[in-house]
Amino acid sequence: MTISRRILLSAAAIGAVGLLAIPQFGNASSGVQVGQPAPAFSVKDTNGKTVSLADLKGKTVVLEWSNHECPFVKKHYTGNNMQTLQKKWTGQEVVWLTIVSSPVGEQGYVDAGQANKLTTERGAAPSAVLLDPKSQIARAYGATVTPHMYVIDKTGKLAYAGGIDDKPSARIDDLKGAKNFVDSALTELAQGKAVSTTTARPYGCTVKYASPSA
Amino acid sequence: MRRFGFFRRLHQAALVAVLVFGLLPSVQAQPSGNDLVDAALIAEPQSIRAGQPFWVGVRLRMAEHWHTYWRNPGDSGLATEISWALPPGFSAGPIVWPVPERIPVAHLVNYGYEGEIVLLTQITPPAALPGGDVPLRADVNWLVCQKECIPGEATVDLALPGGNGDINAATKSAFDAARQKVAQVSPWPARMQMTDGGFVLSVAAAGLEAGRIREATFLPHQESMIEHAAAQLLSIDANGLALRMQRGSFATAGLPQQTGGLLLITEDIGGKLQQQAFEFSQIAYGAAPAVATVADWATVLQAALLALLGGVLLNLMPCVFPVLSIKILALVSHSGQDGEKARRAQIRRHGIAYTLGILVSFAALAGLLLALRASGAQIGWGFQLQMPLVIALLAYLLFAMGLSLSGVFHVGGSFAGIGDALTRRGGYQGSFFTGVLAAVVATPCTAPFMATATGFALTQPATVGIGIFLALGFGLALPFLILTLVPQLADRLPRPGLWMERVKQALAFPLYATVAWLIWVLSQQVGQQGLLTAMLGLVLVAAAAWSFGLRGRVAMASAALLLVAAAGALYSTARDPAAPAASVAQTQPGGATTEAFSRQKLDGLLAQQTPVFVNMTAAWCITCMVNERTALSSDTVQAAFRERSIVYMKGDWTNQDPEITRVLEQNGRSGVPLYLYYAGGKSVVLPQILTPAIVLEHLDQLDRPQKSVSLSNPTLNPQR
Repeated sequence: MTISRRILLSAAAIGAVGLLAIPQFGNASSGVQVGQPAPAFSVKDTNGKTVSLADLKGKTVVLEWSNHECPFVKKHYTGNNMQTLQKKWTGQEVVWLTIVSSPVGEQGYVDAGQANKLTTERGAAPSAVLLDPKSQIARAYGATVTPHMYVIDKTGKLAYAGGIDDKPSARIDDLKGAKNFVDSALTELAQGKAVSTTTARPYGCTVKYASPSA
Repeated sequence: MRRFGFFRRLHQAALVAVLVFGLLPSVQAQPSGNDLVDAALIAEPQSIRAGQPFWVGVRLRMAEHWHTYWRNPGDSGLATEISWALPPGFSAGPIVWPVPERIPVAHLVNYGYEGEIVLLTQITPPAALPGGDVPLRADVNWLVCQKECIPGEATVDLALPGGNGDINAATKSAFDAARQKVAQVSPWPARMQMTDGGFVLSVAAAGLEAGRIREATFLPHQESMIEHAAAQLLSIDANGLALRMQRGSFATAGLPQQTGGLLLITEDIGGKLQQQAFEFSQIAYGAAPAVATVADWATVLQAALLALLGGVLLNLMPCVFPVLSIKILALVSHSGQDGEKARRAQIRRHGIAYTLGILVSFAALAGLLLALRASGAQIGWGFQLQMPLVIALLAYLLFAMGLSLSGVFHVGGSFAGIGDALTRRGGYQGSFFTGVLAAVVATPCTAPFMATATGFALTQPATVGIGIFLALGFGLALPFLILTLVPQLADRLPRPGLWMERVKQALAFPLYATVAWLIWVLSQQVGQQGLLTAMLGLVLVAAAAWSFGLRGRVAMASAALLLVAAAGALYSTARDPAAPAASVAQTQPGGATTEAFSRQKLDGLLAQQTPVFVNMTAAWCITCMVNERTALSSDTVQAAFRERSIVYMKGDWTNQDPEITRVLEQNGRSGVPLYLYYAGGKSVVLPQILTPAIVLEHLDQLDRPQKSVSLSNPTLNPQR
């Protein structure tokens, strides 16, 4: 019957058009996205040297949000975890930037001198410590807690964002047996592999944000 | 659970745990002696009865302005942990959490508790109790924060004798109060749908009064699921409420099978704001079987009934009416035939063929639609009219039918053959095909009754979904079917005569009008070139019809050739898609500015707290056109839009638009029209048939001055 064939044909045509129209499933959430270019910044470090992310293209960069008075940060420094990571990776040509976003008067605020003193006292080994008292970099990256960790690959794209490991606690004992996401992301990048865990829940103290007008 | 050994020594028997920075190597001590959290263990009964579960609670008293955290702490913080050390045979259940407060910190949001809370836990003793007092002990770990955060811990304990399990009068009120602060289990089913960029929680709480609900928030159990600080958009309609949430930036790619959480609703009850909290322990993602279970026969039946009713009403729609009239005319023409019994049988068969035609096409359309959606296509009911090819094909077909009625050509000896030039015997195929045509033409006329039913059908398992569409089709067929099955009714129809010739000729004009409308729809789907070819195609159809009417071999051959040419015109028409949505962004004379809909623009406007009225429409949706003419474009409504600085946003679904389809879905719809009004962080869904009064009433509903409700002062009174 010609008619049913015609119906069939038009149904098939409709079907084909419909299938072609299947949309791409995008992810339009806020903040920075893993796989997207990391937000640019250019700021003086505690030794007066300008550090700008654009100049670091070609190098793997780690961002570590810090507040030395936060119990969670203390966990990773008292337990020597952060220093070990810093030494291991800066020794392998990775740029490690510790960022302090606490504004004046808030917990964790330090000036350049205090920051350098802290680095010496703690035996820390970042490539540089950046002061962000207006919380601009923190806002650009959507950093919520200390420590909040970001890994940027050699092409300037964000490769990891989130918590430092899988044991959200302030207990030093929990460093043992924790899976360190930063270490594994850096290892995978160094081996030229894709990062397997690209994000995990960040845990720690709330970043002490400067009020936007400040 | 591991902890710092030296703390345990310090605080071993203490109910007060103070963790101060000074204890850690390096710098800056908090003021010591600052009792930030006082932890204690309390029990509801005075004694333990063997085998009978009882309640205990870890009571935390926080220093003023300091808070501890809920199971999902939000953007930062840590949930309080309790680990039990119980005698052998005893077991402890999970923590039953009180409803938390939303605690904003800068632009972040945490969930936690200030003041005093009791974390309830049910303990089940063994069938035989050990002798003497039973020691119950728990290590409690918390993070307490104001701006700074300090972790703390305590070991709390309590000993209860064996006995009859009587309630302890001294702690009774504390437990009553604690239960008051726990959310009630939701009486409504819910489902969670993923959208790009977020989630939509749909709660089937029918009968909610949109006007009374001031605020609704979902607090998920999962920590990174949503952007906690982002506004949640609420919409309410007769089916319940929907909350649209933004996906958290740290949400891991793999979603769990299901999620859970709390829904907080603030209602205005007699001028008083009252918050209620509902617990959802498990919410499945997607078109959830939770809602679609066959157990819910009543809902399915109700939807099917609505669909049936909607189908009957479709007969009156301008798109179907001419088709139906022709069918009835055909019926009349049969009444002159010989043999009463044979005549009736024949009429019955026509009715059945027509019904079958409708049912088969509805099943096919619904099946195709469901299959396409299952494969991920963002399409809705009426999708076939989003294809210019289908629109043009319909126009040609109806034009040919009109020409036949006008007498340009005759098909067979009876009108039953109209629309089916190839019919030979009895015209049953013609009746079937008329049914098909009626079904295809009827789809866009989404009558108000159908919106709920078709929307529901699309969330159901395929069998139920198709069943509902079949009910719709059956409704469409019903009036004619009854006419053919009940001889008394058919006998009332007038006898054939000259009048039929006149009616027949007159009926051609509604068909021409429909063709005109289809071409207008087409003009919004294809470019100017495409439109011209489409209209030239109409001329070719006319020429073919005329040639066909002449009879004879040469005439037939040229008719066939002309039809081929018309098919070519169809093809090239469909290949010239219009520049998208160019026609909708415009300023209406003297009216508010019309913005073309885009999700991004809408989100942007809502982020700036701008009120927005969204009109989802399509050129082929007659209800939409009527609403626009009579209500939305009316001076009063336009003035109200201007007065309230409402942005009027129009989404044109004439052509495929996955973004609009998703918005329709989020509101439980499968087609247009859909009207949404957003203001003050909330939204409301308007009915499908509008009058200026209805629009104004809904604008008022959200714009009514509201007291702001702070969740941090919970006047919690869950109605248990």
